[in-house]
Amino acid sequence: MPRHSSVFKDESKLDINYVPQHLLHRKLQLNLLNQFFRFVVERPGKMTQRALIMGKIGTGKTVLSQHFGLKIAKEAKQRNINLNYVHVNCRECKGSLFMILQRTMTKFYPTFPRRGYSAEELLQALMQVLDEKDAYLILTLDELESLVGNEGSDPLYNLSRIQEDRLDAPKRLSLICILRQPDCLDKLDPSTRSTLQRNIIQMEEYSESQLEDILDDRVNLAFRDGTVPPQTLGIIAELGNSEGGNARYAIELLWRAGKYADALEMQQVLPECVRKAVVSVYPVVRRDMILAFSLHEKLFILGVARHFKKSDSAYMSMGEAEEAYALVCEEYDEKRRGHTQIWKYVKALSAAGIIETLVSGVGQRGKTTMISLSRVPASDLEQELVKLLSQEGGGEGQWR
Amino acid sequence: MAIEDVFSSKGRMKILRILAEIRELNISEIARRAGLNYSTTNQHLQVLERHNLVRHKTFGRIRIFRYNEENPRARMIKQLIDLWEQTK
Repeated sequence: MPRHSSVFKDESKLDINYVPQHLLHRKLQLNLLNQFFRFVVERPGKMTQRALIMGKIGTGKTVLSQHFGLKIAKEAKQRNINLNYVHVNCRECKGSLFMILQRTMTKFYPTFPRRGYSAEELLQALMQVLDEKDAYLILTLDELESLVGNEGSDPLYNLSRIQEDRLDAPKRLSLICILRQPDCLDKLDPSTRSTLQRNIIQMEEYSESQLEDILDDRVNLAFRDGTVPPQTLGIIAELGNSEGGNARYAIELLWRAGKYADALEMQQVLPECVRKAVVSVYPVVRRDMILAFSLHEKLFILGVARHFKKSDSAYMSMGEAEEAYALVCEEYDEKRRGHTQIWKYVKALSAAGIIETLVSGVGQRGKTTMISLSRVPASDLEQELVKLLSQEGGGEGQWR
Repeated sequence: MAIEDVFSSKGRMKILRILAEIRELNISEIARRAGLNYSTTNQHLQVLERHNLVRHKTFGRIRIFRYNEENPRARMIKQLIDLWEQTK
């Protein structure tokens, strides 16, 4: 029997971290970024810059910044300027300036010690390294909400002030901040806010035809010729558009539809594959978001998902969640974390929008946090997590 | 220092081997990898630094030690370590 050949030729082009060579429909925004940071290659060390990229989910904020970073670092290299572009996701760093700086530092010093000093000391050390290497840095703080929510105004203030303290020294550190929720800026002190708001790049939602162009571009890169008919692209673009011009969602949908086509041994990705994929991709819970969670956070959500799969109630108490988590830990042969740590997981998962929490009221004895899973079907979440956990380390009963 | 003073100390040789492989590390990490305590590691590093086999750099409170590959003796010791490791 002939083996079915995959519809994909290079799946990595649909990966969330892939940065395309050409950015479609973001020329104006790219030009703006280039204008803001032109001095880095023309007059390095003379000034620094701060820019803010704002827009809804899937509007190309991250890819714009990364694309710009790659291009400007390349141009700087041609001019013999040691310019480094470092992109850090604040949520992955749990909104901690220390972790953000540490991640940045490891790009220059992979073996730099991981503890034993403060964020301020680390920032000083980073500037020292930049001076020694005569290097310049454009640091992008993606999902800035997480940093501001966790540490308020101080981190951005410190990052700006470090340059001001070095009056005669070359200016080495510039910032790009990426933000989804504009109201997060209200938490900043007026001076930090005003310096950030000077250079704003607003990302509009992609229209249906723009999404179609983007998808078409990715299809050419990722799929074998003729495997994705135009009507399939049309459906995905329409769905992406209905999710607020969300290109990330549309690309994930395209990838999943391809996976369904392969699983069903089809020669083409037909609209039916998209319909199947739609059910499994929830725009509010991105795969990469779950991936970014720690092992025990994943185990905790798995416990919650399994509880709701069996239960008809809308909420579960913190105690029930801990029990469900303990069961999952047992299954995966992991030592369960204590109450305080679990409480931190609940806060992080709630901030990420995976679960919702409220404090119990009348009818419940005492006071406890009630957890709900309102947006995603528990069975789908469970399926996704079991898959991810088995990829990470072996599967049920043979964790590690 | 005579050559036997370097080679006769197990701790110093461990530290040299670690730094020759990793190139740069802070004291705590060197101590952890060598299985020595902080102060012993610090003393060994000072001896090695006096003989120009390692160098250090300071970042505020943090000291990072590096293998001094500019020193011909250090280069020869590294070659010996590499050869030793390869033919183990």
